[in-house]
Amino acid sequence: MIWQQLQSLAGSYPLALRGLGMTVVLSLISLVLGTLLGFGLGILRTGGNRLISAAIGAWVDLIRGTPFLVQIFLIFFILPELGIELDAFTAGIIALTNLAACFICEIVAAGIRSVPTGQVEAALASGLSRWQRMRQVVLPQAMRIVLPPLVGQYVLLIKDSSVVSAIGLTDLTRVGWLVVQRVPNGLLVFFLVGLGYFIVCYPLIMLARRLEQRMGAAHGEVQL
Amino acid sequence: MTKTGMIDFRGVNKWFGALNVLRDITLSVEPREVVVVCGPSGSGKSTLIRCINGLETIRDGDLVVDGQRLGDPATNMTRLRTEIGFVFQSFNLYPHKTALENVTLAPIHVRKIPRTEAEQAGRELLAKVGLADKVDAYPAQLSGGQQQRVAIARCLGMRPKIMLFDEPTSALDPEMISEVLDVMVAVAEEGMTMMVVTHEMGFARKVAQRAVFMDAGAIVESGTPEEFFSAPKTDRSRAFLSKILRH
Repeated sequence: MIWQQLQSLAGSYPLALRGLGMTVVLSLISLVLGTLLGFGLGILRTGGNRLISAAIGAWVDLIRGTPFLVQIFLIFFILPELGIELDAFTAGIIALTNLAACFICEIVAAGIRSVPTGQVEAALASGLSRWQRMRQVVLPQAMRIVLPPLVGQYVLLIKDSSVVSAIGLTDLTRVGWLVVQRVPNGLLVFFLVGLGYFIVCYPLIMLARRLEQRMGAAHGEVQL
Repeated sequence: MTKTGMIDFRGVNKWFGALNVLRDITLSVEPREVVVVCGPSGSGKSTLIRCINGLETIRDGDLVVDGQRLGDPATNMTRLRTEIGFVFQSFNLYPHKTALENVTLAPIHVRKIPRTEAEQAGRELLAKVGLADKVDAYPAQLSGGQQQRVAIARCLGMRPKIMLFDEPTSALDPEMISEVLDVMVAVAEEGMTMMVVTHEMGFARKVAQRAVFMDAGAIVESGTPEEFFSAPKTDRSRAFLSKILRH
């Protein structure tokens, strides 16, 4: 009987694939953009300028402290009121990128702060410029601290992307809602939706775990 | 005071909050001179040399290094730092880079020396400090004494005019101290202008022209190492020396 129910869902297969594709594309674009922006913000956050640092801190707190659903509604429904027309896809990318950047900013900032002061002083004393200190000395060491939680954050963000279904984007979650109206067994539908997310996320979970082990080992070894 | 040294402190003061860590410091170090700074912990000796390359900033007075006044908008601090080597108590080698990469990083990126040329010079410097076979080793694979010698080679790679040493042997096991001091003696004998915060009397007697004794942020006594270590003039320096020389 479960077989029959699966068969009744077989017709929805192309739609499901489209939904999965949307979820992957949306996640991929916003994670790449969010990572770049997040590193930039994290570097500025720990830079010397207090005003910039405080402004970024306030924005990050605001975004981390409000539901993503609310943020996405604000971007999709309020911005057009101000004359900025956005299609659902662009709104979704903006909202997810912003969310990703804010979480990644804090991860990167924590990594940068973990680098001992002596390292910065040594780089400073040898005449390296601000950017050279960051690029050659601070970031490579911060990455040890940053990488495991960064990949873990990717997993959370991919799952958060399901919220974009609320503004009508046909991602995996929305496909679930559409299909469930046509077939009797909603439980099975959402089981499959969940499975779809898991298939995307599981490799990342494994990667995060491996990175954590590797970085843990490196940490013991690289000791001053 | 009209003559200008390589390093010139004139009435320098510095506070950490309410604490007056440098009190009216006036001190001039001539080119090729080696000055040893000693004193009890918290006396301000590390702060004194950290001011010279701007790791600490001064509150008032003048500090002129290599003809450039610190804190002056016309002084390019990053550029001035390339002329000043700084050796830290805790080495501060870059743990993610090999010994050679530690030595060549600044010459390649700051001095813009071609990589192959910088690596050639880096190997020679590491050989000079006795570490020809450790070129590709990471800091974690080196002993404290070896790390500190790499740190000295890293400074020399920039061909600085001045070298500052902040208790370079204090974090070392006793058997490694002499290998680092030997390298420092060699650097001094080549005519480097040096300020060394240390209590190593043997080193001071061998290469220093002057010993400066600091207490509570002020320079209390200054003289040749011979005079200072064998016949200190003030009660405070006598008390200090009797403590470090007792054993």
